[in-house]
Amino acid sequence: MGALSFFKESIYAEECASRSGYLQYLDARIKVLIIFLMVLCVMLSKDIYAIFSLYLFCLLLSVSSKINILFFLKRTWVFIPLFSLFIALPAIFSIITPGEEIFGFGAAGFRLSITRQGLMSAGIFLIRVLTSVSFVILLTLTTRNTELLQALRIFKVPQLFVMTTGMCYRYIYLFVEIIENTYLAIKSRVGILLPHKKGRYIVAWNIGSLWQRSYYLNHAVYTAMLSRGYTGEPKALHEFKASVLDWLSLLAVLILITLVLYLGDTGI
Amino acid sequence: MKNTIFELQDIWYSYLSKFPALCGIDLRIEQGEKIALVGANGTGKTTLLQLLDGLIFPDKGIIKAFGTRLNEEFFNDHVSARSFRSRVGFVFQNPDVQLFCPTVKEDIVFGPLQLGLSRQEAGKRLNDICEQLNIGHLIERSPHQLSVGEKRKVAIATTLAISSEVMILDEPTAGLDPKTTRQIIDIILQANKKGSTIITATHDLHIIEEIADKIYCLGSNRKITRSGSSRELLKDRVFLEENNLVHVHSHAHRDAVHTHEHEHIDHHH
Repeated sequence: MGALSFFKESIYAEECASRSGYLQYLDARIKVLIIFLMVLCVMLSKDIYAIFSLYLFCLLLSVSSKINILFFLKRTWVFIPLFSLFIALPAIFSIITPGEEIFGFGAAGFRLSITRQGLMSAGIFLIRVLTSVSFVILLTLTTRNTELLQALRIFKVPQLFVMTTGMCYRYIYLFVEIIENTYLAIKSRVGILLPHKKGRYIVAWNIGSLWQRSYYLNHAVYTAMLSRGYTGEPKALHEFKASVLDWLSLLAVLILITLVLYLGDTGI
Repeated sequence: MKNTIFELQDIWYSYLSKFPALCGIDLRIEQGEKIALVGANGTGKTTLLQLLDGLIFPDKGIIKAFGTRLNEEFFNDHVSARSFRSRVGFVFQNPDVQLFCPTVKEDIVFGPLQLGLSRQEAGKRLNDICEQLNIGHLIERSPHQLSVGEKRKVAIATTLAISSEVMILDEPTAGLDPKTTRQIIDIILQANKKGSTIITATHDLHIIEEIADKIYCLGSNRKITRSGSSRELLKDRVFLEENNLVHVHSHAHRDAVHTHEHEHIDHHH
């Protein structure tokens, strides 16, 4: 069931984030900064080998953070071919990217060929998406959601936004639980097989009912906030402490990025 | 001589101006008292508690807290509002309403930080409360990962962290098992021992004698139908039956069926 898989996924992500790996040890703010810089480097780099070396570095980080490599690859590779491949596919043909022909064929009276330059640009696009997504997934797997939200403050994201997002995240669980219980209540009364029309009616009714509940909860939570002194300006407890390892990691990443960009540009 | 914490004179309140919830309430609560509001469902207990916490305001009548009239103008003034909020804490009936932060830790420090305490002071309060209520192992968890009993403990912790002079509790033991109920009662009694005034709305007659010296009973006419010491009021079975707080039922013990009074207690279904 969707609701249960949501719980399972989030429990697994929390479990990954609490392991004693390298990235889990880093301060969330520094970690967000490092991943941001890495993604930026991937975006700026034009050399496929340079991007590939960054991808290998990402895999190395996942291993050092005690993330199961097969799980990590499955999680990142499932979506990459699905979305990026279809976007990148037209670029391999000569009509989009002219250049040195590798393979050609005739179709509907005109000739279509795959070019070396086309393959290269599609490859760069694919590896770029894959590496960026891998870095971001690595960040979410090694950082607790609450810390991740708080770390957004370094990018000057307003506290109100961080707090509201945190509250949304907290209440998603409550609503998932409500949906699950409602589904079970329906199942216990009408069985699992329903005519499509009736099914649609129940889904629509559920959406309406959930909206009403969220509206009520919204008011109740606001009064609970008022009761504890909320006046419209949220204040939060930040307990981030950057250690020597954090600063050294940041320095190492900066050196790596400079090298990758320099070597990529000079074609070494 | 004790100080008066709350003074209510002829309070009327209705929802959407057509559904009456309270019809002429007079009440006086002194410092350090333990009082309980009892009554059947829909008699206005929660509404009365929300009025006491300044979350809603009466249609008619006067509410005074610490000698000052509570109204919207009072809460529009940040200094007055902050002073009141740091003295009065409210534990909601539904802990999911009260625990709105992503983690228990953030929930406990929310009140102190909003009320102007420094992060160090809020952190110290957090440690003190966790030690006092033995909930240190829960602080990194998200509220959805807690049991009902743990949620209630944490909800009380969020109120105690404000260092309240007054604790208002709405059905604090509803749906709890006997052991957790006992723990909650102990927490409430401990707070009272430290000087907190305790105001509890409950159906649970088993806990009333411990958590309240005085009972105010709200009737179906949405007025206080009777008040008095908990011992005296709990003895009046006819009155309790009239107010839906006990009922007579029959049940079997092996082969023998007998009939007796049954109290409405939430942890004994």
